[in-house]
Amino acid sequence: MVRPPARLLGAVLAGSLAVALGACAPGSGGEDKAAAPTTVNWSGFRGKTLTYVYFTDGPDEQATRERIAAFEQETGAKVNLQLVPFSDLEKTLQARVSGSSVPEVARVQDWHPYADALVDFTRYFGKDYPNEFIPGEAKASDDGQGHMYAVPSDLTMNGPLINVDAFNRAGVPVPAAGSTWTWDQMVADARKVAEANHMESALAIDKSGHRVSTVLSQFGTTMIGQNGQEALDSGKAARALGALTDLMKSGVMSKDFWLESGTRYKGANDMFLAQAVPVYISGNWQVAQFAKNARFTWAAVPNPCQERCGGFPGGKYMVAFKNSANPDLAAAFVQWMNRTENQRALDRQSGWMPTRKDLTATGIDYPQRAADMKVFLDDVAKTPEDTYAAEASPAFTGSASFLVAEIAKVTAGQEDVNTAVSNVKQQVAKLVRETTR
Amino acid sequence: MTAGSGGRTGHGELAPTTRRRRRRLTSRAVAPYLFILPNMVVFGLFTIWPALNSFNISLYDSGNGRRFNWVGTDNYREILSDPEFWGVARHTAVFVVGFVVLVTVAATALALLLNAQVRGRGLFRAAYFLPVLISPVVVGLIWNWALERQNGLVNTVLGAMGLGAPGWLLNPNLAMGVTIFVGLWTHLGFYAMILLAGLQGIDPSLYDAARIDGAGAWQRVRTITLPLLRPTTLVVVVLATIAGFQAFDFIYTLTGGGPVGATTLIVQYIYLKAFESPIRYGLASAAGVILFLTVFGVTLLNYAIGRRREAI
Repeated sequence: MVRPPARLLGAVLAGSLAVALGACAPGSGGEDKAAAPTTVNWSGFRGKTLTYVYFTDGPDEQATRERIAAFEQETGAKVNLQLVPFSDLEKTLQARVSGSSVPEVARVQDWHPYADALVDFTRYFGKDYPNEFIPGEAKASDDGQGHMYAVPSDLTMNGPLINVDAFNRAGVPVPAAGSTWTWDQMVADARKVAEANHMESALAIDKSGHRVSTVLSQFGTTMIGQNGQEALDSGKAARALGALTDLMKSGVMSKDFWLESGTRYKGANDMFLAQAVPVYISGNWQVAQFAKNARFTWAAVPNPCQERCGGFPGGKYMVAFKNSANPDLAAAFVQWMNRTENQRALDRQSGWMPTRKDLTATGIDYPQRAADMKVFLDDVAKTPEDTYAAEASPAFTGSASFLVAEIAKVTAGQEDVNTAVSNVKQQVAKLVRETTR
Repeated sequence: MTAGSGGRTGHGELAPTTRRRRRRLTSRAVAPYLFILPNMVVFGLFTIWPALNSFNISLYDSGNGRRFNWVGTDNYREILSDPEFWGVARHTAVFVVGFVVLVTVAATALALLLNAQVRGRGLFRAAYFLPVLISPVVVGLIWNWALERQNGLVNTVLGAMGLGAPGWLLNPNLAMGVTIFVGLWTHLGFYAMILLAGLQGIDPSLYDAARIDGAGAWQRVRTITLPLLRPTTLVVVVLATIAGFQAFDFIYTLTGGGPVGATTLIVQYIYLKAFESPIRYGLASAAGVILFLTVFGVTLLNYAIGRRREAI
């Protein structure tokens, strides 16, 4: 009798799979290459290529390309700029860092998830290199042990933007630069303007824990304190979140948008651009975008004060990967892009705010929307110190996402504000423990 | 046995004819495997291998999707003790039961109608089948716009009739209902076509005999159509169950899993665990394995119940 070969085939297949699966732990391999040198040979980069993984907020892409062209001309190196949507950035970078196509440089919002794969810039440019940057941002780039794993490339500041045309039509005075207004005043004005202009809502805020942290700070608290530990004041947080969720429940803010369903708007900026809302709480990175896309008169206005004034800081960083083909070139490129003259050029064209001490001192002569940028820069001075520490914590990103989910639950009537605050406190404490392990 | 044309030689070797026959037999036995080999290679590389590797990955964990540590069954323990997972499992169960029951009943009714109707049958079949051809992502977007609370088509019509503007995608219960409805709208034509093919396979003489015996329309459906359609219905139930468990794309664009996670089903849970920060491929793979085992178990159960009924 002739036996079909299926069993044999099956046995061979099963054996091969067992051996193959047993032998391959996912993500194994790709260990560190040799330790980085401490000097940069600028003349040795000619003919070399680096890959720069980049996400863009809009006009900064052209500014970046121009700086890259200057770098290529100066060093003879070639820079391959690869654009990635922000939503795909982390998974793209993690996949590439674990594989064989590690990019040399990336622009990131949070460098902590890649910390073990990054170049320590102090090894190339010395222990004093972080001192070239403003203290809050330098601290946010440091691992707490004097290693600088990211270079802060642009500072962001949260704050409101308003539809000036709609304010004028409603006869509501636009808050002047340098003036102060309270949360209650802002909400009352927004309601009047929305009503007079038949707008869908009065106020919009990005669905982001980072932006909500602005409100928390204005009500006097932050999720993470200057010692890096959970620091949310329950009473103040309840007042802040209560104010926001009440606005959503009453329709002053779009409940539909915050509950992730039933709205055509993918972002609160879409609502502002569609003139569906007169006041939009976001940040300075919208300035260049709105300058290009808004079909109405708009302006940045000071952050409202409650217990405290000012906004909430954020930033983007440039990082270099030590397992890439050219880590020395990567470190040199990051340093070059953040030299005074290059950061100034990027800031001017992109509507970014500087992270360098010297540029903060001299200021940036923005070619357009300078008055709006000044509003944000003025708020930098009013922003409390603990907000920088909160934003710099490796636990911040996870905490911010959790905060958004809890606000949605309160808005949907699934839990009360006090429960949400208590849940946020527990989650922040857990994330702090996990990230500082 | 003597050494002859089909036997062994005196030295215990096979006679030439036997060798030829055996070679023919061997070729005949091997040939089918050679025919399916290309397909099996592709299937093995892109389905079986990833599935097995997914099980392998489920035994590891990583905070960044890059450096993996062996954790054994910890991921499974973590998932099974995660209230979020059980919430998602509950939503998935509600969706699957609602979807399977409604789609089976509606597809059977539609197939009966299409089978009975003579004029314009082709047109109606095409009309009901059309949503199957639309990308699920587009289906989700279309219904999202149509059901928007403030400016959506449905609420605009309801508002004009003085019937208010329900938050179709804002109320968790309504949102789940809408999700099941959109799933039904998308898949109805496909399952109705399968059932229609089953209906057309029923011998018309059975109906003639029943009619002569004085059976009414409902009696004919109950005693002839439905019992004879049972094997096809079983196929529809199994396919719909699998589709229900795997539903993701149209829900992601319709509700995004909201409001407040009310329409987040198991596949979206897996997607979020795998691709949202912190990236946890191990945990997502473990959830994938649990989903596979659940679908496999439910499918086996469906077949077992179907077979038992057929036997009865």
